[in-house]
Amino acid sequence: MARRTTKIRNERRAKIVIATLYALSGLAVVAWLVIRESFPPIGLWLAFAVAFAFFDWRSVEVNDRMMMSPTIMVGLTAAVAFGPGHAALGVATMAALGAVSARDVKERRLFQPVANFGQLVVTAAGSSLVVEFFIRVALRGEPTFYWAWIALGSAVAAIVHASVNYAFVAFAVRTVFGQTVKPWSHLGELLPSYVTMGFVGGLLGATLVQTRVVLPLVFVVFIIGYHAFASFGQLREAHAATLRGFVKALEAKDLYTRGHTERVAEFSVLCAQHMGFTGTRLERIEWAALIHDVGKLAVPRDLIRKPGKLTSEEYTELQRHAHVVEDILAEVEFLRPMVEIASAHHSNYDGSGYGGVGHTNGEEPPLEASILAVADAFDAMTSTRSYRMALSQSYAFSELRRNAGGQFHPEVVEHFIAAIDETKRRYGSPFLNDPEEARRMAERGVESRG
Amino acid sequence: MGDPKVSIKSPLVPSVGAIISISIAVLLYPHSAAGPLALGIWAVLLAESGLVKVPAGSGNRLSLAFIIGAAMPILLIDGTRPDLASTGFVYAVGLLILGIARVVRGDELEHVHADVMRLGVGLGVYAITYATIAEILVTGGGLAWVEAPWDRLIAFVGAGAVWFIIEAGLWAIMTTRERGLSWRYLWLLGLSDWMVMLSMMATGALFGFSWEKLHIWAVLVAALPYGFAHVAFFRYLEARRTYGQTIRALSRIPEVAGLALEGHSDRTSSLAVETAQDLGLTPSEVTDVRYAALMHDIGRITLNEPGILRRGFTDEDISRWGAEIVAESPYLTKVSGLVARQHEPYRRPGEQRDPSLPTASKIIKAASAYDHATMELGFSPLEGLEVLHRGAAYDYDPDVVVAVRRVLERRGVV
Repeated sequence: MARRTTKIRNERRAKIVIATLYALSGLAVVAWLVIRESFPPIGLWLAFAVAFAFFDWRSVEVNDRMMMSPTIMVGLTAAVAFGPGHAALGVATMAALGAVSARDVKERRLFQPVANFGQLVVTAAGSSLVVEFFIRVALRGEPTFYWAWIALGSAVAAIVHASVNYAFVAFAVRTVFGQTVKPWSHLGELLPSYVTMGFVGGLLGATLVQTRVVLPLVFVVFIIGYHAFASFGQLREAHAATLRGFVKALEAKDLYTRGHTERVAEFSVLCAQHMGFTGTRLERIEWAALIHDVGKLAVPRDLIRKPGKLTSEEYTELQRHAHVVEDILAEVEFLRPMVEIASAHHSNYDGSGYGGVGHTNGEEPPLEASILAVADAFDAMTSTRSYRMALSQSYAFSELRRNAGGQFHPEVVEHFIAAIDETKRRYGSPFLNDPEEARRMAERGVESRG
Repeated sequence: MGDPKVSIKSPLVPSVGAIISISIAVLLYPHSAAGPLALGIWAVLLAESGLVKVPAGSGNRLSLAFIIGAAMPILLIDGTRPDLASTGFVYAVGLLILGIARVVRGDELEHVHADVMRLGVGLGVYAITYATIAEILVTGGGLAWVEAPWDRLIAFVGAGAVWFIIEAGLWAIMTTRERGLSWRYLWLLGLSDWMVMLSMMATGALFGFSWEKLHIWAVLVAALPYGFAHVAFFRYLEARRTYGQTIRALSRIPEVAGLALEGHSDRTSSLAVETAQDLGLTPSEVTDVRYAALMHDIGRITLNEPGILRRGFTDEDISRWGAEIVAESPYLTKVSGLVARQHEPYRRPGEQRDPSLPTASKIIKAASAYDHATMELGFSPLEGLEVLHRGAAYDYDPDVVVAVRRVLERRGVV
C-alpha cells in the first residue's frame, strides 16, 4: 500500500515537471517568433485555424485501430500559404489550438493539454521553419524548379514534424509512466502517409498563394472523404454489435454458457496481445472467439445441457450441426478467416482432433486457433457446467501445462498463463482442485433440484 | 415473361448517338478558339476517364468522366479559356471515343448507348448552365467565360448542381423502364450518391483551377484528396455489403437448425424489398425492410428450448423474441421495432385501425404469409395471392396486397 502511494506521488511530480518544461519551451518559442516574425493576414489565418480545429477534433480511424488526422497537411499548407516571415508564428499559434482534445475536456485532464501545448507549438514552429527555408531557396532558384522545391521542402518538414513530435511524446511517456513507447517502428509505418500529406500540403499551399478559390474545393473533398470514413467506422461497429448481440441473446437463455463467449473473447485477446498481436490479427481473433460457439447454439438444448457424457451418436449429431452453421457463416467473405480459426480450434496442437471449414488433417493448427483453444478450455474448466462445478484457476493452469505439446500449443499456454496473471484477477472456484469432487458436487446439486 | 423490356437491339439507335456527337463536333469546331491538338488531347482524356468506374451506393454507373467533364470550362487550354464551342467540341469527341472504346471492350450495346447519352445530356446541360451563369455575373460579356476565379467558382457550383439533379433523374427514369421499380424510390436512391458526385466535381474544379498554375503538378494536387475520398467510399460500400451478408447468414441459422422453413427468410426478404420499392419507400426504409424481413423469424431460434415447446407459443411470442434478439444491437433499434410488430393485423374487426403500424411491418406480414402459403402449404402462386386478397383490409393492408400483386405480375408468376 505504501509503495503504491509513493508511486502515484512520483508520477504526479514527474507530470508537473514535464508539463512545466514543455509549456515553458513552447512559450519561449512563441516569444522568439513574435520578435522575429510578423503575424499573417488574420482572415487567412482564421480560415486555416477553423480547418485545423475541425480535423483535429475529428480524427478518423483509417485502418484497424490506426487513427489518422490530416492536421499535419493543414499545417504545412498554411505554412506555405503564409510564406516566409509569417509561417512559423502563424502555424505555431494555430497548433496551440490543438492542445485541448475532446477527451481532455471529458475527463477533465490538465497534464495532457498543458504538455501538448508546449510540444505542439515547438513541433509546428520547427517544421514551419523548414518550409520557410525551402521557400526562400525556391524563390532564389530557377522558376522551373519552384514547385519541386516546395514539394520537397514540405515533405522534409513533414518528416521533421513527425520525428520531433514522436520524440516529445516518447520522452514524456517514459518519464511519467516509466514505459518505453515502441521505438520508431510505429512511426515507420506512418511515415509514407506523413510524407504524402506533406507533399500535397506544400503543393496546395503554393496553389493557394496564386488562387484562393481552391481552398473551399479542397476542404469539400476532404470533408466528404472524412464523412465516408466515419460512416465506414460506424458500420463496422454496427456489424460487430449485431453479431455480439446475436450471440449474447442466444446465450442468455442458457444459464450454464451465459457469458462464455464474451469471456473467451476477452481471454483470447489478452493472450494474443501478450504475444504481440496487433491490428487486423488481433481483431480477427476477437471475432473468431465471438463466433466459436455459434454452431452449438443451433443444436437442441437438451443435447448440450444433458448431464453426463454424450453418446457417440449424439456427439456426431452435435458436430454436424456445428459445421452446417459454420458453413453458412463462412459464406460471408469477411467472416471466412474468423470461421476458419473458430473451426480449427477443435484441432489439437499435435494434429489430432477434428476441424471444420479450416480442416487441419494431422497438421498443426494456426496460432490463432491454438490461442482460442486454450482460452476456451480455460473458461470451460473455471466455470460451472451442468455436469461439474467450476474448478480453481491453479488447477486449470496445471491442466493446461499438463496437456501442452499434445492438445495445446506449449508457447501459447505459457503466454496465456502470464497474460491472465498480469490481470491480477482470479477465475474459477477458490478451492476446487479435483474434477471428480466437482462432478460429485454437481450431481448432488442436480438431485436436490430435481 | 409478360413485361416487354425496352430494348435497343437495332444498330440504328447507337448510330444515332454517334451521328449526333459527330455533327455537334463538326458544327462547333470552326467556332472554337483553341487548336485541334490541345482539344483532341482533352477529348481523349475525357474518354479515358469515362472508362474508370467509381464506387457508388445506388448501383448507378458513375465514372471519373465527371472529374474531367467538370474541369473543362475552368481549364486553360492553349493559352485561352475554352469557350462554349471548344467545350462542346471536346465533350462530343470525347463521348464518341468513349462509346467506341466501350463497344470495343465488349460492353453491352444498350448499356453503352444509355450511359453515353446520359453523360452527354448531363455535360451539355452543365456547359450551358455554366455559360448562362457566367453571363449573368459579367453582363455584356457575351458567352465568353468569366475570368475572375470567384465568379468561375460560382458558375461551377450552380452548373454542377443542375448537372447532378439531371443525372440522378435520368438514371432513375432509365432504370425505372429497365427494372420497373418506383420512380420516386430510384430518384431518391440516385440523389443519395450526392457525396460521390460532389467529391468528383469538386476534384474536377480543383484540377481546373490549379492546372493553370501548376500544370502537371495539378494532377497530384487533385488526385490525392480525391484518392482519400475514393478509398473511403470503397471501404464504406464493402463494409455495407459485409454487414448485409452477415445479417443474411444469421437469419439462416434457425432454418438450418430445423426450426424454420428452409429459405423462408430469404424469399420473404426479396418479395418484401420489391414490394417496398414498388410502394416508393425511401432507400433507407427499404434497407430496414430488407433487414427486418431477413430477421423476422430469428425468434424461432428460441424454440430449441425444450421448456418452450412444452408450454407452447404464439406468433406474437416469435415476434417478441426476435425483436429482443435484434434489439441487442444498438444500431438496429428501428429494425427491431419492425420485427416486433410484424404480426399485427391491419385492422381488427370492429376496431379503428392503428395508424402507427409501420408500412414496413405490413409489407413483411404479407410477404411472409405469401411465402408460407406457397412453400409450406403447397398453394399455387395464384392461390397464394388469393390468400392475401381474402385477408385484405383486415389482416393485410390493401395497398400492400396490390403492390405484392404488381411485383408477382412483374416476376411473371401470376
